[in-house]
Amino acid sequence: MTEILLLEDLPEIRSWLKVLIKQVFPDSNVHEAARVHDALELVSAVKFNLALCDLGLPDGSGVDVVAALRETQPECQSVVVTIHDDDDHLFPALQAGAFGYLLKEQARELIAEQLKRMSQGEPPLSPSIARRVISHFASQTQRQERPQNMPHVALTDRENEVLLRVAKGFTLPEIGVQLNLSRHTIADYVKQIYRKLNVSSRAEAALEAQRLGLFRR
Amino acid sequence: MSIRARLALAAVAALMWLAVAMLPVDARAADVTVIDKALTAPGTGTGPPAFGSTARPVKLPDDWAETRPRFDGSVWYAVTFDRPAEMDAQDLLALYVERACSNLEVWLNGQRIFSGGRMSEPVTRNCHYPQLVTLPGALLTERGNALELQVQGHALQRVASRLRAGGLSVLTIGPQSVLAAQHLKHRFWNVTIVEIVSVVLAVTGLVMIGLGLMNRREAYLSYFGWLSLAWGLLSMRLWWRDLPWDNAVTEFLVCIAYTPVTALAVQFLLSYVDLRSRWIENALIAQCVLLPATLLLAGPSRLYAMAAIWYPLLLLEVAAIAVLILAIAWRRKRRDFGAMLAVLAVTLGLMLHSVAVYLGLIEAPQWPVMQIVVPLMVAGVAGRLLYVFARSLRAAEDGRESLETRIAQVTAELEQNFAQLADLRVEQVTEKERKRIAGDLHDDLGAKLLTIVHTSESERISTLAREALEEMRLSVRGLTGKPMRLADALADWRAETVLRLGQANIEIDWRGPPEETDQLLPARGFVQTTRILREAVSNIIKHSGASHCKVRCTIGDHLFGILVQDNGKGIPMELDGKLDRGHGMSSMKHRAKQMQGQCLVESGPGYGTVIRLTLPL
Repeated sequence: MTEILLLEDLPEIRSWLKVLIKQVFPDSNVHEAARVHDALELVSAVKFNLALCDLGLPDGSGVDVVAALRETQPECQSVVVTIHDDDDHLFPALQAGAFGYLLKEQARELIAEQLKRMSQGEPPLSPSIARRVISHFASQTQRQERPQNMPHVALTDRENEVLLRVAKGFTLPEIGVQLNLSRHTIADYVKQIYRKLNVSSRAEAALEAQRLGLFRR
Repeated sequence: MSIRARLALAAVAALMWLAVAMLPVDARAADVTVIDKALTAPGTGTGPPAFGSTARPVKLPDDWAETRPRFDGSVWYAVTFDRPAEMDAQDLLALYVERACSNLEVWLNGQRIFSGGRMSEPVTRNCHYPQLVTLPGALLTERGNALELQVQGHALQRVASRLRAGGLSVLTIGPQSVLAAQHLKHRFWNVTIVEIVSVVLAVTGLVMIGLGLMNRREAYLSYFGWLSLAWGLLSMRLWWRDLPWDNAVTEFLVCIAYTPVTALAVQFLLSYVDLRSRWIENALIAQCVLLPATLLLAGPSRLYAMAAIWYPLLLLEVAAIAVLILAIAWRRKRRDFGAMLAVLAVTLGLMLHSVAVYLGLIEAPQWPVMQIVVPLMVAGVAGRLLYVFARSLRAAEDGRESLETRIAQVTAELEQNFAQLADLRVEQVTEKERKRIAGDLHDDLGAKLLTIVHTSESERISTLAREALEEMRLSVRGLTGKPMRLADALADWRAETVLRLGQANIEIDWRGPPEETDQLLPARGFVQTTRILREAVSNIIKHSGASHCKVRCTIGDHLFGILVQDNGKGIPMELDGKLDRGHGMSSMKHRAKQMQGQCLVESGPGYGTVIRLTLPL
């Protein structure tokens, strides 16, 4: 049995997504929520395998739910489902631990396809997201101070190579051909990149918190 | 040598010249007879008494305080003289009496020839006035002319100053022209100059009072003004020789007038060093009551005794206060300490001298030193006060000017800051408003369009809604976007085009510029180009039936170009010879034109379509 969280405030879209989820995962149990508050309650009660979270909700941002899931249920895959395709909205969600994103207005078949791929461990990565990830890690390496107990998160050369090529506008299959890598290997790299982005962002957040604490002392 | 020192030297020189000029002229010319012996007899009648057995000789000058103490009334003097032989018969003969106190009448050979004023109370006060009496030729004989003088005077005990006690100076007989000059000179130095100075003092006082009224914080200006005015008025008494009341009242008034003058002097000195003492003020007021009270109690016959106590006391008060303020000025290291010391020392010295003369301790000088020098000092002090005042006024003016300049500067700065702030605020508000509009569009319009996309039964409608949603998002990005690097834009376009064509199973050959550039593309340019490119790709996917697509991007200095070429069936012509509007060609061209660029479409049935997009950077 697959436990799936569906966080979406618009009833029509929610029911439509539910149909779609049932189509991709026929053997699933879908828990619906229209608000961040309800979703967080569900997170504390149910152990999920997959979560689809909208970002702009009446009582807050879906990013909080993504972060809570990352914190309490690390094995749950969070996917952002949003109408915002710009990385200003997406990047914070990815930093909080989202594993990918779906754009709501895409055709049903496309969404189903992407959802299936993500659940199989092939998250999408657009050039603009790749550029932000690159600049994020660049600023991380420049930073001298590092909180203790926090591992230094750095990308491998191959991960960097993949990111740079994505940033230049090459698609993942193209990069696979260029680097003579299989589809699975490329997908693993992308997953690693998302994971490291999350870990390093949390390290950064911890550092920030520590600094604030130092100031208060 | 500083200007100050030069001025001081000049002042000293002027004073020395004055002193020399005021030395008595030697009038004892050959034909001038000085008579220093006379017969005297008491008498109150209207004519000369008989100088019989009661007559006795006296030496002139005759000071009543010594020869007839406590006498108050009329005394007759008789002398005889011969007409000077050397004198021209045409010349007028005159009698010059330097001092006859209080008043005098002259009889020649039994005829009354001169009167100085009223001889009974209130007696005309002529003590300070020298008298010149022309002796009528008709009454004169060659030898043994009898000259009889009646002097009406007051006992020393009944006046406040020895200078106003009864007495007669030596008599001088000589040519009228010679004696007139002497008389004039004496009168000028003893009377006229005092009168002038008193007027000057009064006017100075009024000016200073006016200044003091306008500047209430500078209390010393007012005190000095009142002091100067009071002193001036006191000195002016010389003018009025005939007063409607008798000697006792006049002497009483003169005597009590010194208490307010003293009070004002003390207050001026104290306020000059910013001191104020309630009890000193009260004591001064009390003194103004006490002094008249004691005088009244003692009665007119003991006026001189009371003055002998009070005058030194008043002087002592002023001197004590002067020493006090000098000590304060010294301790405060005031720059005008030297000037204060000099002025106060000279003034106090002169007052001491003056009191000494009043009390008969020393001989009266030829000219009233105090009445002349003290006013000069007062004028000097007034000048200095005015200078200080003018300087502080100037300083205040300068301060005000610099303040105004500073205010203007600050205002300008403030306005500039405000303008910057307003600009910043406008930017912030604009940005916030953009975000709000973007948010609203997404939340409201976006959600509705999304609902249509996913709930519409018709494929066509849901496609339209999806396109509308895409349009909306691009518009919003155009609203909020910042310029982006052209290389990044090309990467985005490449990824999207390759993905879409790949999904449609169309082969794609995309070649970008050989090297990376750092040129920027405005947000709106990015959005419009994205739309054009997206439209072109949509056309290829939907209509062309092509199997291959070629994209070439070139970047120049001021423009960049994109060429999209497919191997499809081309765009069919409309009846009017234009390309099919359903393929969105016109909107692509319109968008390119909006960016001052151009979009050329070459197409023909059977040989595919070429779209050349050229846009400025």
